[in-house]
Order: sequence, then structure tokens, then C-alpha cells
Amino acid sequence: MAEYFTARGLPVPRELQQNPLTDWRKLLGIALVLLVLYVGLQITAIDTGRANVEYAVGIIRQLFDWDFSIMSPRDEFETYRDTAWWKMIETIFLGVMATAFSMVIALPLAFLGARNIMAGNPITQAIYLVIRVMFTIIRSIDVLIVVIVLLVIFGPGNAAGVFGLAFHNIGVLGKLYSEAIESIDAGPLEAITATGANRTQVVWTAVLPQITNPFISFTIYRLDTNVRLAPILGLVGGGGIGTDLFQSIQLFQYGAAGLIIFMIVFTVAAMDFISAQIRKRLV
Amino acid sequence: MPPLVSIKDLVKVYPSGTRALDGVSLDIQRGEFLVLIGLSGSGKSTLLRCINRLVDPTSGTVIFDGIDVTAADRVAIRRVRRRIGMIFQQFNLVRRSSVFSNVLSGRLGYRSTWRTIASRPTASDVAAAFENLGRVGIAQRAYSRADALSGGQQQRVGIARALMQKPELMLADEPVASLDPATSHSVMKYLEEINRKDGITVVCSLHFLSLARRYGTRVIALKDGRIAFDGKPDAIDEKRFKEIYGEDAEEVEIGPERSQAQPMTANDAALRALADGTHADPSGR
Repeated sequence: MAEYFTARGLPVPRELQQNPLTDWRKLLGIALVLLVLYVGLQITAIDTGRANVEYAVGIIRQLFDWDFSIMSPRDEFETYRDTAWWKMIETIFLGVMATAFSMVIALPLAFLGARNIMAGNPITQAIYLVIRVMFTIIRSIDVLIVVIVLLVIFGPGNAAGVFGLAFHNIGVLGKLYSEAIESIDAGPLEAITATGANRTQVVWTAVLPQITNPFISFTIYRLDTNVRLAPILGLVGGGGIGTDLFQSIQLFQYGAAGLIIFMIVFTVAAMDFISAQIRKRLV
Repeated sequence: MPPLVSIKDLVKVYPSGTRALDGVSLDIQRGEFLVLIGLSGSGKSTLLRCINRLVDPTSGTVIFDGIDVTAADRVAIRRVRRRIGMIFQQFNLVRRSSVFSNVLSGRLGYRSTWRTIASRPTASDVAAAFENLGRVGIAQRAYSRADALSGGQQQRVGIARALMQKPELMLADEPVASLDPATSHSVMKYLEEINRKDGITVVCSLHFLSLARRYGTRVIALKDGRIAFDGKPDAIDEKRFKEIYGEDAEEVEIGPERSQAQPMTANDAALRALADGTHADPSGR
């Protein structure tokens, strides 16, 4: 095959120059992956020896033997606010409030973090850079870590959860909003400017119609994500139904835990479906 | 009568170092249908945009009806701009807005900011919008979304928007370069009509010499930011043509049919990806 190329004075393709079985680059790659896996096994020391299959099957059975007593007050000291269904609603609204708080802050910041809006002079370009770096840093700190830090200020409960979730979300929404502003079509801006309109009129007529749908779409998408994250917050003390799930497992109440898990799965799936449907209509 | 536009020694050097205009001087008389021709990058778009100062020239002056456009402050430049209509190769309509509100936006320069924000057009503006839409033959589509219209129709909306300004001068930046030959002529005929009937001076850049000969009363050719030809359209013979477009150029009657499909904007693409679930979540979850 290689003669075809040499006979015509063409360079021989690399694929034909080497036998894949003796290609040291490929062999080195395979060896490297195997080495990493071996070293990883030594370091993590994964021990499956203590797993008890019979016991596990028993627990999984209990998880499906749902304890519906958590759906109503269990004694005279509890009200509807202590029931699991109320905690679920509370958890959904942890996500809603976190999205709302972060949206209010991310919205104005996004304009300062959009390259096309801030282009022109060095000062605005510096602001653009600072804002975008800030978004990236905020985004890179995981929600659970923020919540743990906020426990110091607010103590365990919904406040730490909401503000932790909102903080992380500022970074994500800010980036998404900024990119939506950056990707608008500049043509209409030029056309409206050419009619003699002032800056406010140009933004109102040519920029806003282009960004409203992406903004709504991104906000609903993050609302969906935040409601999905909210039940986890309870595991580190961030409030919501996660607290109840954590407690019921520690108290070996697997019937209650199973029902709570089902409620969370159902809620998240429903949110996912609704948010996808709305976003589809916004395209 | 003094010229409507008087341009002197106009130079534009972009920050990238490109010398788009290299000393252009010309007078545009009232009632002319002036066609600008020249290769891509010869400075046609820049020259048009220097007239209403969408582009700030590096040096030189542009006088519009006795007003020095190049020295005007922000308020004065807006007052000049509203007397100059402009249409574009990509139509530049707000695609998500209705045809009607696009046409209405031609009046913005005459109306207060609060009227814009409150969406309260005056009755006379609404009447004028329908009149101008009727003139370009698309009053029935007034409440369609702008991007639901074909390319030719969108350009006619662009003309209606510019007519809302009651302009004395109409700038057209390659208005038919995105259209097929048949549609090109229908759009050019509207420009011809507003030139002849309304007496609006037209400055129009074109790619095809055949269109320039058919519609222009005067042709100016730009080459490397300088004027290479200025005269009657039929004065451009084989020799002149080679001077303007280069030795290897061949004249074609009208170009190959082009697609009217508009590219998806980046936002549309992102929205679609998000709806499909193929969007990468930047939070990493």
C-alpha cells in the first residue's frame, strides 16, 4: 500500500508507516492506563469483604415498605409543618427562593460581564474581566461546601441552604446570562441606531427582545437544577427534606426513608419534565 | 442648489490598521440615485456608514445639508440620523418582534424614551406604519414575527422602517446581496420608486454592474479606499471595468442564485441545545 504513495512521490500517511502492534505510542498509552488503575486500587483500598448481601436485601425490602405515618402529625406536639409532604413543598421552595435571589443579583452583573456591552474603553473592559473571573470562582465552589461555611453564620437550617444554593447559582446564571447577551445579533442595534434613536431606545427595542427568551429559558433550567439540589442540602445541615431523610436512616426507619426518596425522585422527575416542556416552547 | 451631502478628504483607518477609506471627496446632489460599486473590502460600507456616522471617520469632513456630521455632538448626530434612512444586506430587523413594531421603530428618533418604554406609539405613527407597509405590499403580514417572512419581504420591511423617518437621504448597504435575482429587482424597484416619486436621494452599494446600470443615475467605483471612477453608468466599458475589478475579472449579468436561509443566531442555537438536553451545564452538575 505504501508503494502507491512512494511511486507517485507523495508523502506516506502515518497510518501506513507503522504496525499498530509495535506502535510504542499506543502501547505506552495502554500501559499508562493500567498503571493508574493498579495504583488507584492500592490507594483507595476498596474492600467489599464486609458486604452482607442478605442484610442488604432486607433493607431494600424495608425501603419499599413505605411508612405513611410521616405524612401526618405523629403526636400532639407536631403540626402539618412537621409532615413529610410539607417538608417536600418547603424543599421545592428552597430551590425557588435560591433561584430568585441569585437571579436578582446575576441579572445586572451579567451586563457588566458581557464583552460586547463593555467593549470600548480599558476601564469597562477591566470590569468585564473582573466580573467574569468572579463568576468562574463562585461557580467552582460546590454548593455543599458553601452551605457548610454558611452554617457558621446562620446555624443549621433553611437559611444556610438557601443562601448557599443562591451563591453558587449567581456564578452559573451570571455566566449563562452574559453569554446570552454576548451572542445577540448586532445588526438590529446598528439599524435602530441609524434611525436616530438614543441608547436607551436602542437597548429597549433591539437588545431586550433578543435576550428575554434565553433569560427565561436559562432561569427555568437553573430552577430545575436547584430544586434537584435542594434535598441534598439537608445532609450537611442546610434544611429541607434532606434533614428528615438523613435522620430516618440514622434511626433505622427505612420505611420512612424509602417514602422520602420516592417523593424526591417523583418531584425531580416532574420538575425535569415541566422545565423541558417550557424551554422547548421558548426556542 | 448646494449638494445634499458634501464629503471632503475622508479617511478611515480601523484599529486593526486597515485603511478602509484613503482620501475620498465627493458631492451628492439632491435627487440622485448614486450607486457605489467595487470589490469587497474596497470601502463601500465604510463610506456609507461615515455619512450617518455609524462609523467615526479618522479624518476629513462630511457635511449633510449644511450640518457638519463629523463634528456633531450626540444630540445633533441623532437629529441628522433621523433624516437619513438606511437599509442593510442582512435586513437587520429585530427578528423576534412583529413586522409592525419593526416598522414603527423607524419613528424612534422623533419620539421620547418613555413612549418607547411604555409602548405607546402615537396614532399618527401607527397610521404611517400601515401606510408604509401597504406601500411595500405587506400590510397583511403586519402582526407576523419578522423572521417568519421571506428575505425579500424582510428587506421591504426594512424599506418601510426607513420610510417612517420621512428621510431626505436613503443609504442602502448591498440591499440585494442576500436575495435571488427576481427578488433583487423587486426590491430595487421600490428604491427606484422612492427616488423618483418621493424625490429621496439614494446612495446604494451594489455587487452587480448590471443592476448599477439599470437603476443608477450616477456610479462611483471605489478601489482600495479611493474613487476609481465617477460618472454615468453607461460610461463603464470593458477597460474601465478591468480598472475597477482587476485584470482577471469577468462581468456576469447577475450572480448565482443564493439561499435566503438565515443563519441561526448563537442564542437560538443555545436555546435549542438546552431544550434538547445537549447543553453542557457549566456548574458541572
